[in-house]
Amino acid sequence: MKKMLAMLLTGAMVLSLAACGNSSSGNAPAQSSSGAEESKEMGGGSVTLNVTTTFAGEDTNAANYQEAIAAWQEETGNKINDASGTSAETFKARVISDFEMGSEPDVLFYFNGVDSNPFVEAGKVVSIEEIRKTYPDYATNMKDGMMGASPVDGKNYSVPVNGYWEGLFVNKEVCQAAGIEIPSADTTWDEFMDICQQVKDAGYTPIATSFAEIPHYWFEFCIYNYLTPATHNVLPGSVDDEHGKAWVNGIGDMKTLYEKGFLPDNTLSATDGETFQLFIDGKAAFLIDGSWKVGGIEGATDDVDNFTVTYVPGKNDRKSTDIIGGLSSGWYITKKAWDDPEKQKACVEFISYMTSDEMVSKFASVSATALKNGTQVDESQLSSLAVAGLDMVEGATGMASAVQDQVTQEERVPVFNGMPDIVTGKKDIAEAIAELLDLVAAGKTE
Amino acid sequence: MAATNYKIKKKHHKFSAGMAGVYAILTAWALTTIYPLFWILMNSFKNKKVIRSDSFSLPMGELFTFDNYRTAFDRVNILGAYRNSLVISLSVSAAVILLAGLASYALVRYDFKLRGLLNSMVVAGMMFPAFATIIPVIRMMNVIGLANTNQIPKSLLAVILPQIAGNLSFAIVVLRGYIAGLPVELEEAAYMEGCNIFQLFFRVVMPLCKPSFATIGIFSFLWSYNDLFTQSFFLKTKPEYSVTVLLSLLTSQEGTNYGLMASSVSLIVFPLLIVYLFLQKYIVKGLTAGAVKG
Amino acid sequence: MSSNIYKNKKPIIFFLVPAFAFLAIFLYYPFLQNILNSFKVINNLGSSAKGWNDPWFTNYVELCKDENIRVALVNTVKMIAATIIGQLGIAIVLSLMVDNIKRGQKFFRTVYFFPIVIAATALGLLFNLVFLYDKGMLNQLRELFGAVKLVDFKDNSHAMLTMMIPVTWQYVGFYFIILITGLNNISDDIYEAATIDGASRLQRVRYISLPLLHNVICTCGVLAVTGALKVFDLPWIMFPKGMPSNSTWLTGTYMYYHAFESHNVDYSSAISVLIVILGVVTAKIVNAVFKEKDY
Repeated sequence: MKKMLAMLLTGAMVLSLAACGNSSSGNAPAQSSSGAEESKEMGGGSVTLNVTTTFAGEDTNAANYQEAIAAWQEETGNKINDASGTSAETFKARVISDFEMGSEPDVLFYFNGVDSNPFVEAGKVVSIEEIRKTYPDYATNMKDGMMGASPVDGKNYSVPVNGYWEGLFVNKEVCQAAGIEIPSADTTWDEFMDICQQVKDAGYTPIATSFAEIPHYWFEFCIYNYLTPATHNVLPGSVDDEHGKAWVNGIGDMKTLYEKGFLPDNTLSATDGETFQLFIDGKAAFLIDGSWKVGGIEGATDDVDNFTVTYVPGKNDRKSTDIIGGLSSGWYITKKAWDDPEKQKACVEFISYMTSDEMVSKFASVSATALKNGTQVDESQLSSLAVAGLDMVEGATGMASAVQDQVTQEERVPVFNGMPDIVTGKKDIAEAIAELLDLVAAGKTE
Repeated sequence: MAATNYKIKKKHHKFSAGMAGVYAILTAWALTTIYPLFWILMNSFKNKKVIRSDSFSLPMGELFTFDNYRTAFDRVNILGAYRNSLVISLSVSAAVILLAGLASYALVRYDFKLRGLLNSMVVAGMMFPAFATIIPVIRMMNVIGLANTNQIPKSLLAVILPQIAGNLSFAIVVLRGYIAGLPVELEEAAYMEGCNIFQLFFRVVMPLCKPSFATIGIFSFLWSYNDLFTQSFFLKTKPEYSVTVLLSLLTSQEGTNYGLMASSVSLIVFPLLIVYLFLQKYIVKGLTAGAVKG
Repeated sequence: MSSNIYKNKKPIIFFLVPAFAFLAIFLYYPFLQNILNSFKVINNLGSSAKGWNDPWFTNYVELCKDENIRVALVNTVKMIAATIIGQLGIAIVLSLMVDNIKRGQKFFRTVYFFPIVIAATALGLLFNLVFLYDKGMLNQLRELFGAVKLVDFKDNSHAMLTMMIPVTWQYVGFYFIILITGLNNISDDIYEAATIDGASRLQRVRYISLPLLHNVICTCGVLAVTGALKVFDLPWIMFPKGMPSNSTWLTGTYMYYHAFESHNVDYSSAISVLIVILGVVTAKIVNAVFKEKDY
């Protein structure tokens, strides 16, 4: 048995060496010459990895990441060329075009949803399955089912670090002034409607949201209310099937929110930044947003204890404690690096280092992870808002990922961009959904 | 001209009501242009938490902070980034001045068959959006080995070359207007004295148009300096960063850290203004030189 | 220009080749690719085409049917009017004024330039706070003067004006600089001669400055229409995605939207082709209009 494995390994090595020879002869001369220079500089043994991640700018983990790679370089003597950027659209374009032109990095931390389709389809990254053939222990501390399978073929390609959840953020002061209880795990949607009415009667805006720019969060939960964690993440086949009806009813509830005056006066013309400020300034009581907003609120207010986060009240078969969440990015090894015998091992070691239980706990902090053992977080280091977020995830009875992630921006237009027309009654709900589904169907056949 | 203007105005010694009105209007507009810069500078010293709710008050007492700058300096090597930016933008504006000068001179003075077509192509060149042309350019840079080398000079050059092309169209359009306004008699006189065509351009036209070239140079410098788009494709690793790329990475697009944004903008703008003031001196100097010759 | 010097056409090559070589390599060739791209299926900027559209001109059929393109074109025409009347008009007046004052020329030249050097993100935030619904600068001022009801400056009826004022304001300095440079190019002998003949200041402006500035004003006209066709950064920050209700699209913002937000790069390429064509045509019109005008 051992003999067989050894033979297989040698075979793989020979093959990958051959592949490497081919690819390097096709490379631009400048690249190979710079590579030669670096290895001279470093002396024998050490490897230089080109790494691109989204841990930059205001990403809460930018500093953690810099610390981690400094420590790893120190420990192993390897070198890292870091070309990280903030996940803006130009950065995405750069990553995609790098793959297109064969100048992709060796290791990449990037989205695992539709954004990764171009390079997964082109076979330019290596699947976890493939890596485990050579390194059986790779990413075994993660739950395979939660790693964020590629939309292309359902296989796992990346090792996730930190995930997201969405919840109902609450401004406690406003609730107190309006004389209402903060919604809890037991609050139902109908009770929530009464609460909103009371907030409104007290002269405050119940819900801070811009239906003109970001109706996304309310869309997600309003539809969720007519489905369950198991069924939420399935696109309707048509407007008339069960899912289609759930969508129609859910968007109907959004229209009700608007008609009852629970939203800011200018929700149809304000930007999300403006309505968020209403919430921070104590003019609005509730806000649905993602786990990334914990840092946003901490950075926007002096009194973070005035804010908390809880479950979005549910109705029908959805329990209030069923949340939306998932893991949307992960570490990839590119095919180019995998086929390079000098780099292969270093890539695997680097990602294993970055995805150890300890490291993931540090990066994930309040957000969800795929760790089998869960995270070890020192709660004393966190704000009360962050702790509330942790508690919410711990008490969750079910989790579904956002269904809108299966719909491209272009396909979302009729419902999301059309939201102002929908809630003011200028556009029929079922018609808008049908248009969206038509676009999805057209996208599939392309 | 400043000198002659002065001479003319000596005759109207008294300060007329009309002049007072002119100054009033000019000052009013100046206030609208100064205020935003002041507003940004002011908010860059303010606690980031209050900027959205209280942006129009002065950063006094509790509101005052250096934090926004501390973050900007803590995380990065900003001097190296200024150097990279300066190298890029100076090269771009120098090349644009020379190439656009040559081309617009020929487009104005010579009458030839393709002139109409070339003029239209120049205008068209102004309209091409950067994202529509960037991908083929990246591909070219990969082929000639300027992109993805991790070598600073090569990466800077990869930004400079497309930026020169990007600013040329605008520069040619503007210079055409200026050169067309020059009286051709001066060139004829010089020609009579035995200047050849190249001497005409470098010794007569260019000196006469110094202020115009300076204006073109300033705009090219500015756009090259602020052009985050092209830069972010070629300047990928820290030692290669320009100021604009570096500061854009501090304040991510979704970020709500307005304090950091205000300090970043201040760090981008104020060195630029110093360069601008310096160049303005040069304009005035070029101006008087031109006037004497004229 | 039919001076004898320029009869010999051989030097043209030397003058034109360097600049046009740059343009050809880094602009025209890439844009030809862009035209081809408008017939293909491309989702992300940088990813390769998934094949040709079926039929290949689909995007252009779509352009003719697209309601938002119509909105964008109408708004862009408004924007062109605003740039020509507002930006260029104000810039001409300001530059003539600055040219005729004795003290402070340098000061005004410097400060009028400020809006152009500030990144659009910062200006966008500033203007968003000026026009903010609740506690915005303007609404607070109105409250001071006794108004009770807040005005939503970003609703359907105010949006275009709220967008055009900052854009107009931002670029006045740009045209101002170009114009004042043109004024500086005018030889002082002419002014001096006119003054000796007893021309008043206004007459000098009317009969010397304006006619001699004619070429530069024409240039500014071309820049103004082409600028209005492609402007996107400030409008996009203040009114993302054509908010409210798809009423504020401009050709520039709509093109940007399809390239980066809706992942429909091929359609965006088609829009950019439309913009270039419109730009060249309107520039020709501007040239024709200004040429006929006789001072």
